[in-house]
This record gives sequence, structure tokens and C-alpha cells, in this order.
Amino acid sequence: MEETPQHCLSRLPDNSALKQQELPAHRLYFTARRVLFVFFTTGIFCLCMGIILILSARSTQEIEINYTRICANCAKLRENASNFDKECTCSIPFYLSGKMMGNVYMYYKLYGFYQNLYRYVRSRSNRQLVGKDVKAVEDCAPFKMSENKTPIVPCGAIANSMFNDTIILSHNINSSVQIKVPMLKSGLTWWTDKYVKFQNPSSKNLADEFRGTTKPPNWPKPIYDLDKKDPRNNGFLNDDFIVWMRAAAFPTFKKLYGRLNRTHHFIEGLPAGNYSFNITYNFPVTRFQGEKSVVLSTLTWCGGNSLFLGLAYTVTGAITWLASFAMMAIHITLKNKQMSFFHQ
Amino acid sequence: MNIEHERYLQANNKEFNSIFVYPNNTIKTSKYSVFNFLPLNLFEQFQRLANAYFLILLFLQLIPQISSLTWYTTMTPLMVVLSITAVKDAIDDLKRHQSDDRVNNLPVLLLVNGKMKEDKWMNVQVGDIIKLENNQPVTADILLLSSSEPYSLTYIETADLDGETNLKVKQAISVTSDMEDHLELLSAFNGEVRCEAPNNKLDRFSGILTYKGKNYFLDHDKLLLRGCIIRNTDWCYGLVIYTGPDTKLMQNSGKSTFKRTQIDHLMNVLVLWIFLGLGIICFVLAVGHGIWQNKKGYHFQIFLPWEKYVSSSAVSAILIFWSYFIILNTMVPISLYVSVEIIRLGNSLYINWDRKMFYAPRNTPAQARTTTLNEELGQVKYVFSDKTGTLTQNIMIFNKCSINGKLYGDTYDKDGQRVTVSEKEKVDFSYNKLADPKFSFYDKTLVEAVKKGDHWVHLFFRSLSLCHTVMSEEKVEGMLVYQAQSPDEGALVTAARNFGFVFRSRTSETVILVEMGKTRVYQLLTILDFNNVRKRMSVIVRTPEDRIMLFCKGADTIICELLHPSCSSLCDVTMEHLDDYASEGLRTLMVAYRELDEAFFQDWSKRHNEACLSLENRESRLSSIYEEVEKDLMLLGVTAIEDKLQDGVPETIIILNKAKIRLWVLTGDKQETAVNIAYSCNLFEDEMDEVFIVEGRDDETIRKELRTARNKMKPESLLDSDPINIYLTTKPKLPFEIPEEVANGNYGLIINGYSLAYALEGNLELELLRTACMCKGVICCRMTPLQKAQVVELMKRYKKVVTLAIGDGANDVSMIKAAHIGVGISGQEGVQAMLNSDFAFSQFQYLQRLLLVHGRWSYNRMCKFLSYFFYKNFTFTLVHFWYAFFNGFSAQTVYETWFITCYNLVYTSLPVLGMSLFDQIVLKTTYWTMISHVIIWGSLGFYFCMSFLLYSDGLCLAFPDVFQFLGVVRNALNQPQMLLSIILSVVLCMLPVIGYQFLKPLFWPISVDKVFDRIQECRRLPRQSPVRTKLKHSSTRRSAYAFSHKHGFGALITSGQTMKSRMSKKNTLFSKR
Repeated sequence: MEETPQHCLSRLPDNSALKQQELPAHRLYFTARRVLFVFFTTGIFCLCMGIILILSARSTQEIEINYTRICANCAKLRENASNFDKECTCSIPFYLSGKMMGNVYMYYKLYGFYQNLYRYVRSRSNRQLVGKDVKAVEDCAPFKMSENKTPIVPCGAIANSMFNDTIILSHNINSSVQIKVPMLKSGLTWWTDKYVKFQNPSSKNLADEFRGTTKPPNWPKPIYDLDKKDPRNNGFLNDDFIVWMRAAAFPTFKKLYGRLNRTHHFIEGLPAGNYSFNITYNFPVTRFQGEKSVVLSTLTWCGGNSLFLGLAYTVTGAITWLASFAMMAIHITLKNKQMSFFHQ
Repeated sequence: MNIEHERYLQANNKEFNSIFVYPNNTIKTSKYSVFNFLPLNLFEQFQRLANAYFLILLFLQLIPQISSLTWYTTMTPLMVVLSITAVKDAIDDLKRHQSDDRVNNLPVLLLVNGKMKEDKWMNVQVGDIIKLENNQPVTADILLLSSSEPYSLTYIETADLDGETNLKVKQAISVTSDMEDHLELLSAFNGEVRCEAPNNKLDRFSGILTYKGKNYFLDHDKLLLRGCIIRNTDWCYGLVIYTGPDTKLMQNSGKSTFKRTQIDHLMNVLVLWIFLGLGIICFVLAVGHGIWQNKKGYHFQIFLPWEKYVSSSAVSAILIFWSYFIILNTMVPISLYVSVEIIRLGNSLYINWDRKMFYAPRNTPAQARTTTLNEELGQVKYVFSDKTGTLTQNIMIFNKCSINGKLYGDTYDKDGQRVTVSEKEKVDFSYNKLADPKFSFYDKTLVEAVKKGDHWVHLFFRSLSLCHTVMSEEKVEGMLVYQAQSPDEGALVTAARNFGFVFRSRTSETVILVEMGKTRVYQLLTILDFNNVRKRMSVIVRTPEDRIMLFCKGADTIICELLHPSCSSLCDVTMEHLDDYASEGLRTLMVAYRELDEAFFQDWSKRHNEACLSLENRESRLSSIYEEVEKDLMLLGVTAIEDKLQDGVPETIIILNKAKIRLWVLTGDKQETAVNIAYSCNLFEDEMDEVFIVEGRDDETIRKELRTARNKMKPESLLDSDPINIYLTTKPKLPFEIPEEVANGNYGLIINGYSLAYALEGNLELELLRTACMCKGVICCRMTPLQKAQVVELMKRYKKVVTLAIGDGANDVSMIKAAHIGVGISGQEGVQAMLNSDFAFSQFQYLQRLLLVHGRWSYNRMCKFLSYFFYKNFTFTLVHFWYAFFNGFSAQTVYETWFITCYNLVYTSLPVLGMSLFDQIVLKTTYWTMISHVIIWGSLGFYFCMSFLLYSDGLCLAFPDVFQFLGVVRNALNQPQMLLSIILSVVLCMLPVIGYQFLKPLFWPISVDKVFDRIQECRRLPRQSPVRTKLKHSSTRRSAYAFSHKHGFGALITSGQTMKSRMSKKNTLFSKR
């Protein structure tokens, strides 16, 4: 046998797995067993999850009262902007058939209010809101400056359009005794918003810090008068303000307005009985066919009483199960056919 | 400048020649210079649809009224894309510059003011006289003036031009050859040349040299072309006629066009469709916005007043149209092109790294020179291959012979089984000092026969060593170098030499042999040279024993007719051997002899001389004289020469055939050689129904030949009712496509270069194409480089298929450039082909891996990539369409700007790239390497990290206007609903895919799935080796060499002046100095 000649191999490519495309690889074989197993287990998981979610959601209680039409005369009044200083109140009695146990939250809900318009969303100044530079209004068009060229605080369309109805819930124990249901105006926001993102200018006297600025045109009072009693709820730190400033993604949305202070009579929640909402109607919505409601709701671990997620899981689970049965049937029939074909 | 009609120049007269502004000898293949790079490159890049689109987009974003995204979201990717491409182009062009510089700066000896001066190639001008030495490449197209060899002969190798490796002879006209190397004469030479304008015809040149008042006719035999290499000639002088771009080599190189793949084309089409879709979507949204503004937005002005310039909802709608145009820009995938380039680069690197395409003997790895064509490799339908140096090694090996009815060359083991070459032992030639050490032979019986002094064997080898026109050179004692007209002849003489019949030297009247160590001088009486009609050559010699012998070798069909009747039984046996040889694809030649008696010869010789001197019908008279003596021959035997194929060529061709890839052999070589090779490398098979030959010399004949062939293969294709005929009669406008036609069997087609020239002109094109495409294999022979390109172009024009051209010589360059994919074999012959190719490697057999592995993988990866890429971009972008219905069509994005900026660039690019770089087609499985894991989980993890970072307190407090979503991720991920939604989304995305993957092979089993099942079965069974059936052949396949051989040096050898006298004269000249 002739000896194999020794060649110069200086340019021989490396014998590495990467270069030779021989990397060790996982191969996911889609065998019938595995696929069906995955389908069945996923189906079971989704079904269980869905049922749990639905049951949880059903365990919550929610009551929603749309007061746009009930307070039609107030709505009419507010359609004309020149009536801004005329107060209009409206009382809405309702009967709570079952008691609402646990924490009860009060929301206002707006229909057809577009907090997600491109120009609207951008019309705010985070630099101002973090308290660094209250006169930073560059991004706030079309509500940057007042007519006399002083910067608006808080500037921008979002702040200017802040929801300003006041809603008071009263419990009518009998025809004569009416107790105001105590509501907490704290803890309505994310912790990060309240303690990081929104900050007042560091000063004892807020009004001083906001000197040389103007209140937004729609606002009845300046920012530093939002809550005169509680300095931790005043200025940019006002919970209602912070809640409003988180613009909603859809034109129908609800925002937290207050939570039940569980003391005395309401230590277990809201007892069944007659209640009424006393609403000071300030916020105009009928001009653009919007609507307003007030919502009382309890929560569980997975949110409010929305059934969507639960239904989605249930439907997915059901379909997956159906699909796995169908696939099993198809697999068995076709495989038999193929086998017989091969053996012929 | 006017078009040059005629070239007019004077030697050694720069002033005169400068009137015509001929180009100098610089070659430029590069595209850019330092100054024009930026504008030119940018201009080219913006010709890409997507790039231009993004430029427009950038301008749109700068308009505040419609800007819906910040300018940097577009600017950043655009800059990245442009600079990556620019850098790549710059590097490519730099390489071209370097190669140009290298060639342009090669040294050449230039005659200046009576002295030889070394100068650079690029400074050579038309009209200069240059000196070339042995083994130097020719600088420009030059007119040979004189050389060191007798008769001013100059040997050149034209491998780079036409692929033929045998030496060619050029001869200077006598008036200039007398100047020899006298510099004073040469510098005083002031001949004027009028010749044709630069053209690409390699085998044509006509001009007139006017010197000292006399006109001399010049033809292409006197022209040395750029690209040739001087061989066996110590020096020669030449007058530069054509330079640089005017040289025939450059004129033949064809246009260098940017090659685009079909995927490129597809992407452009897709982008156009996306544009259209984008326009429609934007329009719908704008209309929606107009309506919304009218109904709601107008009244919502209490909270959000309109801008001053928005006078009505219509104006707002128009602005919104453009805003959405900007937002939806991610539908037009700018990073697509960059990603595609990266994937292609990766796949090219795989080719470069592939050890299975590394050729150890030459230390050459495969090389993907163009990175843009990988996926096209998987789509190749037609392969156009050169023959010499590509399919064959261009080495002729004396392999077997049959002497006096006995077979030599095969070796058998004890059981009488034939042994394959690798297991055999070489025969020891040490008894012969003059043997060529490179020669190897394996059958010991032949050597034993020689040593024993077998009369027939001796006579056989004697005839081989006498009957040829080889010249020998013996620079060092005992080291013989043969100079043969064809490698076949060289192989025969070398074989005889090794067995002990050494052809040592010749003069015009004698041939000196060393027979088994003894020097014997044979008197050479006549050479009856080869020509195409005779297909044989003979010599008549007077042996030292004073016998007059005629030795003849030639095609078996011819020689059989001339044999003496007594040989008939031997002839039958030999014919059987010939059939065996032919079936092995060997080139055969029959050898015979005849002893003449003195009187007959004298008489014949007299008549021969008369015929030689006759002016009328000299040729025919000579051949009839020849026939008188070439008869009653005694058969000696048959030689079988192997035109050695490259390793693995037949196997590769079989596999390509199985993959439905058609192979056409385009060669400059002769028909018979090509056909022989076609058989031996399995392109043609013995089982084929018919092989058609087209060799007509006018339109009508060719048309008839083509139609006859088609009539056989598919008779209905000639009818008027044939759909293609109907289609063609409607005279469709270009570009149209000829559909595939299927023949009723296995056919082959051979077409000649001359016929092809006709077929390619006129309206025979389609006729040719339709006929040829029905054949399994096609051979085009005697092709010029440009014709090769024309054939490829023809295919590209009418068949929308991917073509690949593979070749090794400069004569293949135009074809390599013309084809969709050009592959260069980096062999011994020059580097021209390689430099112009898209892929280069050393062996034809690597084509299999290139096409069927790399090509297929690249194509699949690219397709998967495109689907994946468009999928991710569409899902990403079209969410905005849905969201528009909830936000008053106000061009509000669902995602915040940083997510948009990062999505394509950071979050999703690697999984897509990873898949398209590491995916392999594995049956029924998904291929996940470690890298895939790292990339996918890494990207996912990275997304969450980035999100936490972008929404972190520090960043958001530092730049509250830029990073607006402080703490969003933290709070959102704290919500169980959020996590549950993520899980549900994953389930909903994955399950249908898994289900589809599972059901697909059940419902629509493609071949791969069937193969998968078969493989399992076949693994258990042992592999069967294919049994090759032996069939009898038609005689056309035999004696290819004899058919292909050209007119030899016979006339030169026997012509008047003897070499010796010339040599002595030369020697005296040297000694005088």
C-alpha cells in the first residue's frame, strides 16, 4: 500500500462543531404521544384555571349606576361652558340588595372619553410633575401658557380635563337617618406614582412654589388647593390627580375614586339597604356623547368581576380538549391507512 | 469618441500612436475610488426600495404636524443599515483594487531607446516593443516579431483563454524574425500595422504590416494574446497591438453585472406589495379619522382643541394618513436587508469552514467569494460545466493496451477477480534509467513480456516511439521533456519510453531511440500526418537493419479497413477489447505496421514528391498517394488512454441527476473528446435511447436536425396544436417563459460550436432551447468563451430557472459571470476563473455538497427567516390598525417609543437570526442547538431586564420626558391577571403550531416524511452496490483521440531547413558574444 502523501494543511478549516454545523441539538420530535400529552395537559390546566377564575369573579359584587341621564338637567347645564360657576347637584338613590363584604372600592367610569388620543396623551410634563421644574411646559401644547403668558400648572390637556365631579355615598338607614359612608382618599394609586413619579416642589408652602404660574383653564382652583386639609394629598400628590394623570388606554374606563373606610357600621363592608349617591355634577361629557357612571365593587385576588380572562381560559381549555380528541382520532385512522399502504 | 473602425499604429513611434488615444495597459475591475465612493455607494444603496423609503420616511418625520414617532426611531436603523452595507462594499472593492494593482504592476521588459528597460504592465503602450521570457504571461495582445526558437516559433499555453492545455505554436513572419534579438534592429523597426478594431474573436485577427515599403499579411497565428503563457521559448519580442481593455481577453470577459438572487427579487416584490397594503391601511385609517373627527373629535374640543392649521376634519385626516404611514413603517422591514446579509454571510462562512469541501492535496478550502447567492444554490436547475480541468484532471494516462490479441493493464488477484487501482502495486521501471518517474503502471505481465523480448510487444512499443510528432528536449542529461501537440500523444510516447523504447531526439531526417538501453538511429523517410479526414498518421522509417517500415496509428474504424486479410481473426479479438475499453470511457487508438520493400517504396516516394510539389489539388493527390502505401497493414494492437476524471465526478453527476439538476457540458474541446468524457462521467449512459448530434453548417440543416430530434423525443411538440407552439405563435413579448417539456425517454444532445453560432443567431434559439432542455445531458463542443456565455444567457432569458456555471479557465470567465451562480475550480490553470467566480473550490465533486447541502440549507433557512421575519413585523405593526379603532384613529401607538426602537433591533433580531443560521432540515423535528436556547431564552430575559431598566426610577427621574413609564413593569407584573394573560397568550400561540406540525405529515405527507419512514426500514438492510452492465458500443465512441487530433508538427519537422543547421547557427551566434 502506498503511503498517503503528507499534505500541507495550513488552511484546513477548524474541526469545531460550530464551523462544521454539527452542534449538538435538541430535536423536538412531534410524536403522537408527546403532542397528545401536551394537548391534554394544557387543556386540563386551562379548564381548571378558567373555572377558578370564573368562580372568583362571580364571588365579587359590583353595582354600577350610570348617572348621565339621571342627572340630565345638570348635564344640560354643563353643555354650556359659561355656566361653569353654577353649582348643580344630583342625588341618586339606590337599593343594595345584598351586602358587599370586605373591601369596597368606588370608581367613576367614563364612556366615550378618549384619554388615548395621540395629542392628548403627549400633552403633559413629567418634569413638572416630578416637582423639579414647575415651569417646564414644553410638551404641554395646547395648554402650555395662559393668555397672560404664565405657565400653566399642571400643564397639558390631561391635567386640564381632570374629572372633577364629587361623589358622596350615603347610607339611608331609614327615611330620616342618613349616614355618610366613610371613604378613604388614600392608597388609590400605585406606590411608585405617589412616592416617586409625582412630587411636590420641596417647600413648606406650596402656594409659594407655584407663584408665577396659572391654574389650568378648566380648573376651579389651583393645584395647591386640591386638598387643603391633608398636605400629603395636596398639590401633585393628590390621589385623584395622580389617578387621572394615568391616561386610560381605551375610551371606556373606570378609575378608582375612593375605598371604603371599614369602621363602625361598615366594618364588614357595605350592609344591604338603601343608599344614595350625592353627586356634584361638574364634568361635562354629553357634548361628545360621553357618559358617566359610578361603580361600587369588591375585589378578589384576580381583580374585579370581569369574566373575560376566566372565559378565555375555559374556552381555550375546551377547544384544546376537543382538538386533542380529534387529533387522536385522525392519528389513529390515518396511521392505520399509511401502515397498510407501506406493507403492500 | 468615435467608434474605432480600424487600428493603425507604428512600431516605436509614441507620437504617432498617441494621436489615436489608445488606452494604456491598465486593467480596472474595481468600481469605486476614494472620492466617488460615498456618493456612488449611497446612490446605489438608495436604489434599494426599502432604503429609499426610509429616507422619505425620515423627511416625513421631521415635519412636526405629522410626526407620530420621534426621528431617531427611523434614523438609527437606517444609519446602521447603510453603514454595514457600505463597509461591506468598500471591503469588496478594496480587494478588487488590490488584485488590479497586482496585475498592473507586474514587471515587463520594454524596449526604450535601444535598451531593455523594466517597466510595469500598466505603462505598456500600443506600438511598444516588449520582450517576454519563458513561463511569463503575455502582457498585452502583441504581434510576434522574433523568438529564440527555430523559425521564430513561439510556444504558448492558452489555458486561460480557451481551456486547452496543449501547447500552441505561433510563428513570426520572416521579415521580422530576422531581427532576432538585435536591439538596434528592433528599435529601428518602424513597421506600420493596420488591423481590425478590438474585438472578442479569439481565433481571428487580420491586419497588414507595412515595412520598408512592402505589405505583409498578418493573421492570428502571429498574434500572442494576453492571458497566454510563453512556454519552451527562451525569449521572444513582440509589438504591442491591443492593450488593457482592448485585449481579446478583456473583450471576452463580458460585463460584470451585479448578481441578484430570486429571493432578492421576491423581497422587492414583497416590499412593493407591503407598500400597497400600507397605503390602503393608511387610507382606511385616514377616512376613519375624518369620520371620527366629525362625529366626536369636533365636540371633544372642550378638552382637546384642534391645532390652528387644522381647519376641518378633512385636513386632519390628510395629516393622519402620513402619521400612520410613519407608525406602520415597521411593516416595511428595513432591517430585513441587513438581516438577510448577515444570514448570507453566515451561510457563506459555513461554506468556507466546511472540511468536507477542503482539498488536502492542494491545501485549498472552499471559498464563498460572493456572500449574496447562497440560497440560490438550493434552486439550481441547470449546471453548465467546462470539461477540461473541471470534469477531467487534464491528465492523460496510458492505462491499458492490447498487443497481438493479449490484454495488458488489468490486474487480477489469485481468484481471478479484478483488483481496483488503489490496491495494486506499481510496476518497477528501475531497469530503465530514462524512465519517467511520474509514470505508473500496474500490470507486471507487460513488463515481463518486454523483458522477455516478446517480438510483438517490442514492435508495438517501437511503433509508439517512432510514430508521432513529439519533440523532445533534454536540458539535463537523461531528463527528457516531451513537447507534444496533444496530451494523448505525449502519454503514448511516455509509455513507450518507460517500457524501454525511449524516444530521445529527432532531426528532420532521423529519429533516435534508446531501445532497451541501446541507442538506435532510425532514418525518418516520410511523415504521413494526421488530418480530420484520414484520422490516422503514419511514419515510414528505415531501421538500422536497413528495413523500410511503415508504422501507423489511428482510429480503429479506419485502420480496420486497411488491414491485411490475414489479420482478420486478430482484428476480431482486438475489436472485443476495444469495446471493453470504450465502455470504460478510455480513448483508444489502433496501431499497425507494414514492411515495405525497397523498390516499392522508391517508386512511391517519387510519386509522393511529385504530389508534394504539385500546385493543383495537392491535398487530394497527397491523400490518395498516402492511401497507396497505407494498406495491407499488420495489426499490432490497441492503446487505451484514460483521460483522467477528477475524483468523484461520475458519482456527483449521478446524484445531481437524481436531484433533477441538468448538466450541460460546454467545452472548447473537440466533439469526440467531449463525448467520450460524457460517457465516462455518466452524463451519457449506454442505456440512453438516443444521442442526437447537431453539426449542420446552415440554418436549414440545423433546424432540420433539431426538429428530427424533437420529433423523436416528443412528437406532439411539433404539432400546431401543441400549447407551447400556440403560445409562441402569438408572438409574446419578452420576457416570456418557455414551460418545461418532458421527453418520452432518455436522450442526449451534442451540438457543435459552428452550428451553435447559427442556432444562437436567427430564430433558431427557441428551437434549440426546447430540444436541448428535453435532453438529459447536453454537450456543446468547440465553444468560444463568449458562446458559453450566450448559451447561459439563452437559458436565463427563456427559462426562468437558476443556472450555475462551473469552470476553471479564463475561457470560462464569461460563462461564470453570465450564470446566476459562477463556480470557479481553483486548479492548476490560472486564477482567472476563480477571481470572477462566486464560489471557488478545487474539485467538481464538491458541487454536490455545495448544492445539496449548503444550497438547500441556505434556501430553507432563508425561507423560514422571511416567514418568521414578516410574521413578527406584521403582528407587531398591525396591532396599531386594531388599536386605531379605539383611539379615534389618532395615530397613537400601543407601545411606547423605546419598545418600538428596541423591538426589531434588540428584542427579536437574535432569535430570528439564530434560527436562520443554525436551523437544519431534520426530518419531522425542530432543531434546537445550545445556541438556539441561549439566544431565545437570552432574548426573553433581556427583554425583561431592559424593561426594568427603561422603567426604573433612576432613569425615569433623570430623563422624565424621555422615559415616561416609571414603575410600570413592576406594578403590572405584580398583578396576577397580567401573568395569567401572558400564560394564555403563550398557550394560544404555541398550541396551533404544534398541532399543525403534528397533523401536516398525516394529511399532506411530503416526500421528506415518506423518506423518513423509508430510512428506518433501509437502515436494517445492507446496501447494495450497483452492478454495472456492460454493453456494446457504437464505434463512434472509440478512437476519440484519433478523431480529435489536429494536424501535427509533421510538416514542420520534415520541412527544408534542418534543425541542426539552425541550431549550430544559433550556437555560433551565442559564441560570438
